[in-house]
Amino acid sequence: MSRRHTAVPAALALSLGLLAAAYGPSSSMAAAAPPRPANLTATSAPGGPLGPAYDTKTATSVSLSGAGANSINPFFEKVFYEYHLKNSNTTITYSPAGSSVGISDIEQGTVDFGDTEIPMAAKDLAKTPRTVVQVPVDLGGVAISYNIPGLASGLKLDGPTLAAIFAGTITNWDSPQIAKVSGVSNLPNLAIVPVHRADSSGPGWDLDAYLIKTAPAWAAKVGTKPSKTWPLASVGVGEQLNSGVATYLSQTRGAIGFVEYGYALEAKFTNAALENKAGAFVAPSLSSIAQAGSQATGLSASDFSIIDEPAAGAYPLANFSWTLLYQKDPNEAKGIALGKLFDWVVTTGQQYAGSLGYAPLPADVAALAAQTLEALQTPEGGPLFSK
Amino acid sequence: MTARTSAASAVSVKEALRRRHARRGGRGYAAARWAAAGLFLAVLLGLVVSIAIDSSQALAHSGIGFLWSGTWNPTANDYGAGILVVGTIVTTFVAMVIVVPVGLGMAAFLSELAPRWLAGSLSTAIELLAAVPSIVVGLWALLVLSPLFANYLEPFLKAVPGLEWFFHGPAYGPSILLASVVLAVMTLPTVVALSRTALSGVALADREAAMALGATHWQVVREVVFPGARSGIAAALTLAVGRALGESIAVAMVVGNSPAIPHSLLSTGATLGSAIVNQFAEAAPGIGTSSIIALAAVLLVLTLAVNAGGQALLRAMRPGRPGRAAGAG
Amino acid sequence: MSSVLGTVRAADSGADAGDDPEARWSWAAGARRRPVIHAAARRTLGRRRRAGRLVQALCVLCAAIGLAPLVALVYYTAERGLGGLSIGFLTHAPVPVGIPGGGISTAIVGSAEIVGLALVMAIPVGLMAALFLHERRGHLAGAIRFGADLLTGVPSIVIGIFAYALVVRPLHHFSDLAAAFALAVLMLPIMIRADEEAMRTVATDLWEAGVALGARRSRVARSVVLRGALPGLVTGNLLAVSRGVGETAPLLFTVAAPSFAMTLLIYTEGTEPFPAAQQTAWSTALLLLLFVLVLSGVARLVAWHLTRRAR
Repeated sequence: MSRRHTAVPAALALSLGLLAAAYGPSSSMAAAAPPRPANLTATSAPGGPLGPAYDTKTATSVSLSGAGANSINPFFEKVFYEYHLKNSNTTITYSPAGSSVGISDIEQGTVDFGDTEIPMAAKDLAKTPRTVVQVPVDLGGVAISYNIPGLASGLKLDGPTLAAIFAGTITNWDSPQIAKVSGVSNLPNLAIVPVHRADSSGPGWDLDAYLIKTAPAWAAKVGTKPSKTWPLASVGVGEQLNSGVATYLSQTRGAIGFVEYGYALEAKFTNAALENKAGAFVAPSLSSIAQAGSQATGLSASDFSIIDEPAAGAYPLANFSWTLLYQKDPNEAKGIALGKLFDWVVTTGQQYAGSLGYAPLPADVAALAAQTLEALQTPEGGPLFSK
Repeated sequence: MTARTSAASAVSVKEALRRRHARRGGRGYAAARWAAAGLFLAVLLGLVVSIAIDSSQALAHSGIGFLWSGTWNPTANDYGAGILVVGTIVTTFVAMVIVVPVGLGMAAFLSELAPRWLAGSLSTAIELLAAVPSIVVGLWALLVLSPLFANYLEPFLKAVPGLEWFFHGPAYGPSILLASVVLAVMTLPTVVALSRTALSGVALADREAAMALGATHWQVVREVVFPGARSGIAAALTLAVGRALGESIAVAMVVGNSPAIPHSLLSTGATLGSAIVNQFAEAAPGIGTSSIIALAAVLLVLTLAVNAGGQALLRAMRPGRPGRAAGAG
Repeated sequence: MSSVLGTVRAADSGADAGDDPEARWSWAAGARRRPVIHAAARRTLGRRRRAGRLVQALCVLCAAIGLAPLVALVYYTAERGLGGLSIGFLTHAPVPVGIPGGGISTAIVGSAEIVGLALVMAIPVGLMAALFLHERRGHLAGAIRFGADLLTGVPSIVIGIFAYALVVRPLHHFSDLAAAFALAVLMLPIMIRADEEAMRTVATDLWEAGVALGARRSRVARSVVLRGALPGLVTGNLLAVSRGVGETAPLLFTVAAPSFAMTLLIYTEGTEPFPAAQQTAWSTALLLLLFVLVLSGVARLVAWHLTRRAR
């Protein structure tokens, strides 16, 4: 009799054990040290200390998994593919599910690296199991793309008009307010379909910041702090990720939405020229995004915004993308592989950026990236790469 | 003791042990059965307990008002399931409005009107529709149906006089209507297959009795066949509702994802399933993830209630039903 | 009653009376041709017949409406997906946008691994639990049956969250194991119920005969119950597999990257605006559709063949 009745309690004990493992304290969740501010003075030459001096062929076979920003995916896809061709020992998988997913996964320790368009704030950094460093890896822009049949290009928009479109106060393309600003005289009688990101996003933050700065009506509605979650989500259609917005834009006449410029370029969208701080209407392009990036003096993870920079040819919606790495990766081989990978990405890898719609990193930002990578440590606390 | 008696008693002891083992059926086998049963129960209980524990943080933070609160503000850590529950119920309801007449009509066609060769092949075809993965239905709805809806169907519906209360506002394509149609396509096979079995299962004697009393074909179907198939049809509809409530990914692709109570069938909305799909991965660990898991808990309770209620309904309808013979499928 | 009708039908059509297998199919014909009996019925007959014809037309319409989505789905998937299918598609790994010649090999292998692992977990447990239900009565068995019915109704996204909490979080990484666990939990109740139903078809006398002959219970289970129930077992398990293969929601929070599972790949590629990505999505969808249809067809065929042989 006792034989039969031991099996059920054993199974229950097994399930309790599994639940305890799921909910019990995990030994790897060490208390997080306070984040160290990045050193801003550029002390390393472009190319960084890890560059040419180190052989890119990593010795041991390493598999790296990352998750994060959707906007950087065209660039990451390409550079990770090229890096793997040169280093077959390193396999990299990246899940472009969104910046917040990357942050959430880094906070839970379920990935080796993350990427986010908007860097983590101090309060989020405090939640991570180990210290996290943020490395700028590319420079991209947010295009305002539209689908108006017959209008190939040339639509100009300023902050207040764009705000009115996304707030739902202007509902048709033939509105006089648009005609006044846009530089196009005979827009069709077509309903406007504003498309935003249903998930939280860097492009959403960028546009929100731009509209807050340039349109008082928008700031009155949503406040003065930009948010990654689109504030007026009940107006128009919400789609997941850049890909969702882009797919919907391509299918729907009258739609206007914000997508990462890399996606707009690949999908051959028509993009609006936005009014920047200098009063010029600038369309997104490599040079206008690069000009916005070159204005980034004193860039750091806590002072990162290059929205609406006051240069004549600067595109007002540009941002750097930040890779999240653990300062002390518990697996030293992975730590070395990650350091070498991203050192390659911010130096040699930048040659692939231009054709994909991203501008190469300016020299001082590349130096900042190299510096941050230099600060990576072994699990014991010593420097991972000696100079 | 002589050698013979000791040998005899040795044999009898072995024989007694063998018989005892035969009755017990083998140690490993019994343990395996109990272990499997226990493991299954452990998984079931583990699921419920795990969801409950993970959602407790959010429920403690927001209180019971979480269930009907209409706000959804992740940045302010303010979460409420109200809008999503409304969206879930509306999409399921509209899906059922489509599925019940079409499904029962088709089941009646297959069971009563179609010649046998046609009924057999159509039934097989419908069961194959049941096997289509939900992601393929979602892909087709997103890339094929959505433009058709936006460009043709939705403007048409807006123009129909008298239906303005249902169909007004901007017609974007992704909408409550499109999501409901997707749910209808996915639950139709279940309803048709089970209802058809139920209808065919009504005894011939009952039909002939009604016929002998002068009923036409349709009268027999209405007065005898459908009432006789009540429990099977109820089971089919319960299963369909349960499936429609829980469908997440196909709905997430076409519902438009706007966190507001829909004011028309053409407006975008969100359901519990679609919200979980879109927001779980990016929710901030802690209160954020806990709130999404609380949504999953609400969904779980809803579907379990529908399923359990349906089973209770079946048990209430089953005993003493005249004319319930085993169905020829 | 049927003999009366049989003679009536014979009088009308000269057909063979009492032809029972045809009875249900021709009784409607008989209803149309038999003579009217009652005066009141005769008065309303025309109206009732017209109403009946209207309903018949509606039913045919409903059947057409019901069939339309299936036809449209299969047609569009085949039309858009066929162009992308090739040997290279099946054997090459995915490549970035803009580079031609990629494929979905990692997704096919990944899906196969995940489903295979899930089957290894679910099939033995399902069989043993079904044997448990088959051989015992009482409250525990009833509770397990009820639990299995409830678990089949649990939305797959909730199961995905459970797998995340139980496997991904403690292990600190996404994995095929977590995805397999989710699918196993999904398939298990279906398998248990289907297995038990199949075992019920084996007559209890056979089982009792086996035990009476002194065989151990496990032997009886193997030789009598499992062998007799084999058609139903195979069908039930294959149908559970085809359900598991097509699920996406449980994989969302458990798989490391979309390129490791076919269903997730359809989701991520299908929502991209680039024609190449959408082509990949349609072709993968077509592959999945064909696989699931073939699996269902095979399940039926096996069941039919084994039932025939058992007779």
